[in-house]
Amino acid sequence: MQLVGFPVVAGIVLLAFVANAKKSAHEKLNNPIRMASFAFSLALFGYTTWMFFEVFASIDLDNGIIFNDYKLYDSYEWFPALGIHWTVGLDALSFPMVWLTTFLLPVTIIATWHEKNGATYFPTLLLMGGALIGVFVSLDLFMFYVFWELTLIPMFFLILNWGGKDRKYASQKFFIYTFTASVVMLLGLVTLYLMQPDQIGTGGKYGTMTGRTFDIPTLVEAATNANMDGWYMGESMQKVLFVMLMLGFLVKLPAVPFHTWLPDAHVQAPTGGSMLLAGVMLKMGAYGMFRLPLSMFPHALQHFQMALMIFGMVSLVWGAIVCLGQTNLKKMVAYSSVSHMGVILIGIATMQPMGWAAALFMMFAHGIISPMLFAVCGAFKHHYHSMEIGAMRGMAKHSPWLATSMMFAWMASLGLPLLAGFVAELMMLIALWYFIDLEGWSVLWMIGPALVLALTAAYYLWSMQRTIFEGGDETQPPASLHGDPVPDITNEEKLAMLILAAFTILFGILPWIGLDMMDSYCRQFFDTMISNGIFKGGA
Amino acid sequence: MSQTQAFSDDFFSAMLPEMLLFVGLIALIIIPNLGKGTFRIPGTQIRLPWFLGGQRFALTSNPRLPAWIATITLAGAFAAVADSLNGGVDALTVVSSSTDSAKELLEVNGFSRVFELIFFGALALASFSSMNRLKVEGTGGKLSEDQLYNNRRQADFYILMLTCGLGMSVVALAQDLFVLFIGLELASFSTYVLVAFMKESKAGSEAGMKYFIVGSVASGVGLYGLSMLYLWAGSLQFSVLAEAFAVSGTEALPLIGIGFVLVGFGFKVSAAPFHFAAPDAYAGASSPVAGVLATASKAMGMVGLIRMLLIVAAPESSEGSAVWLVCIGALAALTMTWGNIAALGSTNPKRMLAYSSVAHAGYMLAGLTAVGAWTWDPSFAGKEGEAALLVMTALLFHMLVLVAFKLGAFLVLSILESDGDSSRLSSLGGLAKREPLLAFAMFIFMISLAGVPPMAGFLSKLMVIMGIVNVGVGAGATSLGELHWVWWLALLMVLNSAISVFYYLRVAVVMFFEDPEEGREGALPSGWQVRTSIFICVVATIMLGVFGDSVLEMCRTAAESLTTKW
Repeated sequence: MQLVGFPVVAGIVLLAFVANAKKSAHEKLNNPIRMASFAFSLALFGYTTWMFFEVFASIDLDNGIIFNDYKLYDSYEWFPALGIHWTVGLDALSFPMVWLTTFLLPVTIIATWHEKNGATYFPTLLLMGGALIGVFVSLDLFMFYVFWELTLIPMFFLILNWGGKDRKYASQKFFIYTFTASVVMLLGLVTLYLMQPDQIGTGGKYGTMTGRTFDIPTLVEAATNANMDGWYMGESMQKVLFVMLMLGFLVKLPAVPFHTWLPDAHVQAPTGGSMLLAGVMLKMGAYGMFRLPLSMFPHALQHFQMALMIFGMVSLVWGAIVCLGQTNLKKMVAYSSVSHMGVILIGIATMQPMGWAAALFMMFAHGIISPMLFAVCGAFKHHYHSMEIGAMRGMAKHSPWLATSMMFAWMASLGLPLLAGFVAELMMLIALWYFIDLEGWSVLWMIGPALVLALTAAYYLWSMQRTIFEGGDETQPPASLHGDPVPDITNEEKLAMLILAAFTILFGILPWIGLDMMDSYCRQFFDTMISNGIFKGGA
Repeated sequence: MSQTQAFSDDFFSAMLPEMLLFVGLIALIIIPNLGKGTFRIPGTQIRLPWFLGGQRFALTSNPRLPAWIATITLAGAFAAVADSLNGGVDALTVVSSSTDSAKELLEVNGFSRVFELIFFGALALASFSSMNRLKVEGTGGKLSEDQLYNNRRQADFYILMLTCGLGMSVVALAQDLFVLFIGLELASFSTYVLVAFMKESKAGSEAGMKYFIVGSVASGVGLYGLSMLYLWAGSLQFSVLAEAFAVSGTEALPLIGIGFVLVGFGFKVSAAPFHFAAPDAYAGASSPVAGVLATASKAMGMVGLIRMLLIVAAPESSEGSAVWLVCIGALAALTMTWGNIAALGSTNPKRMLAYSSVAHAGYMLAGLTAVGAWTWDPSFAGKEGEAALLVMTALLFHMLVLVAFKLGAFLVLSILESDGDSSRLSSLGGLAKREPLLAFAMFIFMISLAGVPPMAGFLSKLMVIMGIVNVGVGAGATSLGELHWVWWLALLMVLNSAISVFYYLRVAVVMFFEDPEEGREGALPSGWQVRTSIFICVVATIMLGVFGDSVLEMCRTAAESLTTKW
């Protein structure tokens, strides 16, 4: 499909072009390559936006989005011997993520317009985008895994080549940590694949050599349409596979205690890398959960509901507490991501359509807000040469643009009403109430989220106080500037901030643009499960 | 299956690749000696030119000539094998006589053909790139004696390459343990000398000596095992031995015998704990030779193991499971873990690759265990053979693609070796600045070795894991307890892959991040041959990973032809 192929091919062509050029010519190439990458990414963004209006906006949501039904579906043979196909398609789960990726690519390019070695940097961003889109559009387990791992390579180089001081350590830790979890997931996928009954000779989706298929819709259909007895997998095996797959996704998400790679990767990554990492790559984990284990192992999901809830609560609270102690701006933002990912897990664990929709919308909203957080951090680092919270004081006076952007991003992240993040958090809280009510759990479960609302406000407001407002009167530029005049952010950075802010407001005021689709998907999923007798009826 | 005798018409057409090697070998011995030599008819003054000796021609005195002859020969043999695989191989057995009591000597089928593809492919690439590795001390007329001797070495080196190929293909074809042993020794002795051939450093001769001593001990133990098997069965024919094993294979004598034989082959595949000579040998040998050891020589050992375990030491009845199963399973677990952990600590890139090759041997042994488990474990009695076939296909495919990226990695090191040294990780430093495309190639090889998609290494490792899991799942395991124990080998394998990422990535980090060593900032030594070989390896690594379906089908046909039992 052109969505994947386009950025990848464009990135490779541009990289090959640069590799061929003499070293001295690289400087000269920066601008044309940047423009070309930008044009490519804009074209992609235009394409997905067109797709929204053409395909998804016209769906009658009340009965239009059907679970396990895909728009723009395409399938070609890849390894017929093993039942591997190049199968792509979009549904309400993947389309918002694809749109988000294509939206963030041009914004990232704008925000990091002056990145050094642009001739190789911008094509790498394109490759990254292509691999991410590949993860979201894949409807074949093999293809999914291939793109899943493929995203590691451009990110590894983004951190390694453009990262901070400890980039060597951070990039290796990032790669090894997530790769380890992924190979366990791979073994789970392979076991799932081979658990299917042998259909050798059937041809079509089934491999001519193995008699099994990697086709996700087929697997999901088999899993959801059958009760426990009718399926090829016993309940205990389902639990084992659920754990193996979830391990891969929880590390990527990341949930406490698997989150330790994230702060290192973020702090060392360049701004563009962080924006994509936080904006889209973390969502791969949540997306993968929805696409595979949650859809395929509903029994195991019910079994591990409590565990997921605990993971979610711990991530939420732990992330927020750790944030309070950070003196490094970027690290604080990274831990706040961990905290927000806890919201997603709690939303899933409520097992309510609304909770799931909250999780999906959180993925989307956080995908717009967190790039803005990191763009602010990047600008801060770029202009003040330090990430320490105390390094700059009285920013409101020195750099009003950056101060305003920071305030806006911080507010959006802490869940100010009318901004995108608020919608998701509110929905999660409502779903949690429903859940507690339904299950008869103690109201004490609400303490976690309530506590975190306070903590989030605390660490964001405190850090703003220390950087933006305090000490403004002294008009004393930070020591890290060595007496240079205090700059404000560049025009490109301003533009990126404005775009991100605009969309944060847009999806805060009119969340239904994306939310309706997600809500319809979740309701459809739960209806299917209930009518198949797998879930008991819920709210 | 048709039969033929040695030196019949069928024999020559089926043995075309080996015959090509033979012709190349003769040419390699004769052609560099051609000159203006004349022969005086006694009693007269008539001198007849007979071309041997005397002042050599410009062409034949060219020190590069042996390399070209060897490369063309090996490439021709490779093409002949590929061509015969392309049309589907007609199995042909070479027997000693036309009577009923005839002994089977060699068998040409898809299985042996795939191995020949591996051997000749690896050797052709290695000898092609050795052109840039073995120094030529001047060409033309006036050379000192030392220089002449040094140029003479060229011919010796490539003769050994060809004998190595010949020996390996005999191993792949053999239907008789004795024939197999002869082939094994021919190939082994060639590799011992090839390892010691690097005279630039003292490590070369030490490595060769060590490799020779350990290798000949291993061969001796294997030979001792063979003699026990002969004592027991009265024959070394695979077919005879297999029948005898089916009847009374659990007796002590054959078990001890087969244990000894396994030691011999275990050394060749560098399975722990028989791998100790391997890192030294790889580090001391010139890089293309080390690449051959890690790919072709290892594949040769695997042929031996496959033949011995799956054909000979396998009970026909499903009553008693093959005794060696647990042994090989434990060996696989030990080998992959040991290899990976040792590789973590090695700072010499060649030793690191050697240990990674030990780890890969462990993966292959795990696959072999799965084949055995499916075919002979009593819990799978009466099941059809698709699962075992899948593992065997995966094993063949893995060994085939290993040539692309493992040899490729060694070839990159070979360029650095010509530059001075590649024995420290820091010698790779700044490769991305010195020659970006070479660093890119090395990166592709590393992530392929680590098993990152979409490289060939990922697909092959996935296939092996898939095959093992297929056996582990059996037919309808519904809980963790019902999985066959080989499934845990697959788990160990993926965990080991994760460990291995660390040391493969470290290479990438050094190449892209660190500065070159003192005095090594300049351009790398030129040499289009080795770069062409690396290019071929990169293309193969990517293409086989993304469009490997037809090669997979080929491996499957080959696996089917190994035996009709599955």
